[in-house]
Amino acid sequence: MVIVQRKALSLAERLYLPEIFRGLSITFSKFFEKPITRQYPEEPLPTDEVTRGQPRLVVKDDGAIACVSCGMCEVACPAYAITIDGGETDRPIEREPVRFEIDMLRCILCGFCEEACPKDAIFMSNELELADTTRRGLIYDLEKLKRPKAALQPRIDYVYRINKRWRSKQP
Amino acid sequence: MDVPLPLIWIVKIVVIFGGLVGTAALMSLAERKVSAWMQYRIGPNRVGPFGLLQPLADGIKFIFKEELIPAGANKFMFRLAPALSAAPAMLTMAVIPIGGTALIAGREIPLSIADVDIGVLFLLAFSGLSIYGVILGGWASNSKYSLLGGLRASAQMISYELTLILTILAVVALEGTLNLRAISENQASIGQWNIWTQPLAFVLFTITMFAETNRHPFDFAECEPELVGGFHTEYSAMRFALYFLGEYCAMTVLSCLNATLFLGGPSVPFWPEAPWFIGVAAFCLKAGFFLFLFLWVRWSLPRMRFDQLMRLGWKVFLPLALANLLVTGAFISFGAH
Repeated sequence: MVIVQRKALSLAERLYLPEIFRGLSITFSKFFEKPITRQYPEEPLPTDEVTRGQPRLVVKDDGAIACVSCGMCEVACPAYAITIDGGETDRPIEREPVRFEIDMLRCILCGFCEEACPKDAIFMSNELELADTTRRGLIYDLEKLKRPKAALQPRIDYVYRINKRWRSKQP
Repeated sequence: MDVPLPLIWIVKIVVIFGGLVGTAALMSLAERKVSAWMQYRIGPNRVGPFGLLQPLADGIKFIFKEELIPAGANKFMFRLAPALSAAPAMLTMAVIPIGGTALIAGREIPLSIADVDIGVLFLLAFSGLSIYGVILGGWASNSKYSLLGGLRASAQMISYELTLILTILAVVALEGTLNLRAISENQASIGQWNIWTQPLAFVLFTITMFAETNRHPFDFAECEPELVGGFHTEYSAMRFALYFLGEYCAMTVLSCLNATLFLGGPSVPFWPEAPWFIGVAAFCLKAGFFLFLFLWVRWSLPRMRFDQLMRLGWKVFLPLALANLLVTGAFISFGAH
C-alpha cells in the first residue's frame, strides 16, 4: 500500500492567478517556435534505401528490361499478385515478358519477389503512394512498372550489402 | 453637399455590424490558428492566403449541410434557440462606442450605432437574454447531454452574471453615468483609465468574461469529454454555426466592453489629440488583446470541476465584488471628490 502525501499548496498556488500566468507564459513561449508539421503532398516523406516500397522492374542501361520471365517471383509471391506471360526476343537472352502485371491491391510489399529474382530484375522502390479511382487502374502493367536502373540503384546496393553471404558481386 | 442623417445611420450600422460578424468569423479561424501555433502546428492554410478564406468556406459548407432535427424534439423551440443565442450578442454591440467623434465631410459623427444614456443597462439586459438560447436549445433537443449542458450553462451564467454586474456597477458608480460613451470619454488620458482605480474589478471582470461566454476554463455547457457537445449536441448545419457565431459575437462584445470600461476605450496613451481613426485602431487593439486572451487561455488551461466553478463564483468572486463595490462607494461618499 502506498500512502500518497499530497503537498500542501502555497498561498500563491491557491490564488490560481500566479500559476495561471505561469501556464500562459509557457504556451506563449511556444507560440513563435517552428512548427513540426510536414505539409505532406507538397513535402514528400523522406525515404531511405531501407524503405520497402512498391516493387518495380529494372530497365538496364541499354534500354532492355532485365526480366527474363522465369516466373520465380510469381511463385514466391504469397499474395498471388504477380502475373507473367513470357515471350521470345531476338536478344541473346532469348526471353522477356510480354505481360507482367502486379495487382497493387493484392501486393503486401513483402519483398519476396526481390529475394527470389535470379536476374536482379525486380526491386522494392521507394515509391509509396498508391491511389486510383478504379480497381483496374491499380493493376500495374509493364509500362507502369518499368524504372531505369539508376532510379533503383540505392536499393540495389543496399540489397547486395545486407545479403552479401549469398549474393555474389553486382554485375 | 449635406449627407442625410438616415444614410449615416445605415452606414454606421452596416460597418459596425459587419465588423462584428467579420470579427466573429475571423475568430473561428484565429482559434484554430492560435491553437496550432501553440502546439507546433501550422493550422488551416489551404483556403486562400494563410487560410484567411477558411471562415467563408466553413460558412458555405454549413449552409449546404443537411439539417437534422431529432425525433421527439420540440421543433419550434429547437429552431428558435440558436437565433435567441446569437441575436442578443449581436444587438449589444449597438451601444459600444468604437471610437470618439469622427469628422467626415464637415460633420461630427459619433462612432457608435446608438448613443443611449442607459447603455450599460441595455447591454446587461440583452446579454442576460442570450442564456435562453442555450437553455432552450438544451431542453428542446430531447437529449440527455443537451439538457445537462443547458442546465449547467444556466447555473453558471446566473452565478457569474452577479459578479459581472457588481464589477460593472463599481465602475458605473465611479463614473456616475450609465452612458458608455461618457464612460469612455471620461478616461481620455492614460492616467484616468479605470484600471488604475478599479484593478480588482478589472481582474474580476476579465475572469467573469470567460464564464459568461462559456469559454475555457469554464466551458461546462459544452464540456466535450462528459457531454459530447453539451447544449448543441443535436444541432447541425447553419443552426450549429449560429451558436458559434453567437459565442464569438458575445466574446467580441465583452472584449469591447472590457476595453471601454477599464482601458479607456478609444483613448491613445500619451497622445490625447490623436485623430479619430487612430482612436478606433487603439480600441480595436485593446479589444483584440482580450480576444486573443480568450484563445490563449483556452489553449493553456484545463477545464475546472463544476464544484470548483460554483465555489469560485459564490464564495470568492461574489464577496470580492461586493467588497470592491462597498469600498468604491465609501470612497465616493467620503473621499476627496
